[in-house]
Amino acid sequence: MVTQISEWLDERLGWRSVWETIFLRKVPKVNWSYTLGSATLFAAVNQAVTGILLTIYYVPSPDQAYASVQYITTQVPAGWLIRGLHHYGASAMILLTVLHMVRVIFYGSYKYPREMTWFTGVGLLLIVFGFGFSGYLLPWDQKAFWATTVGTRIAEVTPLVGDAILRIMRGGKELTAITLARFFGVHVWFLPATLIILIGIHLYLVIRIGISSVPTREE
Amino acid sequence: MDDKQQLKRRDFMSIATWAIGILIGAGMGLPAIAYIIGPALREDEAFGWIRLGSISKVELGIPTLFKAKIERQTGWIVNEEEITVYVLTENGRDFIAMSNICTHLGCRVRWIKDQDQFFCPCHNGVFNKAGGVVAGPVPRPLDRFEVKVEDDQLFILGG
Repeated sequence: MVTQISEWLDERLGWRSVWETIFLRKVPKVNWSYTLGSATLFAAVNQAVTGILLTIYYVPSPDQAYASVQYITTQVPAGWLIRGLHHYGASAMILLTVLHMVRVIFYGSYKYPREMTWFTGVGLLLIVFGFGFSGYLLPWDQKAFWATTVGTRIAEVTPLVGDAILRIMRGGKELTAITLARFFGVHVWFLPATLIILIGIHLYLVIRIGISSVPTREE
Repeated sequence: MDDKQQLKRRDFMSIATWAIGILIGAGMGLPAIAYIIGPALREDEAFGWIRLGSISKVELGIPTLFKAKIERQTGWIVNEEEITVYVLTENGRDFIAMSNICTHLGCRVRWIKDQDQFFCPCHNGVFNKAGGVVAGPVPRPLDRFEVKVEDDQLFILGG
């Protein structure tokens, strides 16, 4: 029965060859550090799932943001878990992304023919930082408010365009409701959209070219 | 022999991967369901006795409109809401308090004095002055509140 259904589907979708290309592809003999990319992807999926769940209750408005976060943490069943996974998952995400990058540098995996994989990876690193920065403001507590005050002030130090950058980030001179709303928009729409596109290219390249092997002494 | 062992190891890894995957999926999925439906399962707030006003305001034989303010906690917001109640008495001693919410689909009914009937503007539901069904698609009479009178003050039990 199951084989019949999967045959029927495969004839129409060709999913088996897709499955084999993605999951049953040949890889060189490598060590555990080569799983850091997959670990990062796993953390990203965790962030996406828990993030989507958080938007059910979270309200990005100065008079409700903090209270809605408190409501999630203390009133909603498993809310503490969902928020906790998103909170600590964010740190894990940064950590894993950087470790993954260190591994790529250490084994020289960025070299020909994988330059584009590396470039998209650099883009992904910046996006992950963007996620961290924008997400930090959303709980709208003292730490969030002052961290973003300082963070946007740091951007202001940029020569010539610093003031413009600060104004664009904050949506004005001060850190206000506009800032919170746009950080939310960036956090849940702009960045995820870019992230998905770049991950798509990144993974396409990983599968198309195949992963690098551990360099030998002769190379 | 060697080939056979390789295959077994591969099968084991495959099963283990699926098992861990399902475990993680369930570990995420079940709390997610609880998280989503949580507020829906919460018991409706009870308000206790709500004071409507003096019984002297109630006209004999005519449903009289009373409004009362209640505070309702919805999620992280405390709202002040107004509830509207029609009170009817035929003898000045026994009172019935009716909700003005149409039992059809929740619109608000109005007392039409000329016709001696409650009328719902949404789908032409009609109730008599005691809240009984007269015409239209309404499934049951208007809901009633429990009433008590203390020191000539009218109270209803809010829920």
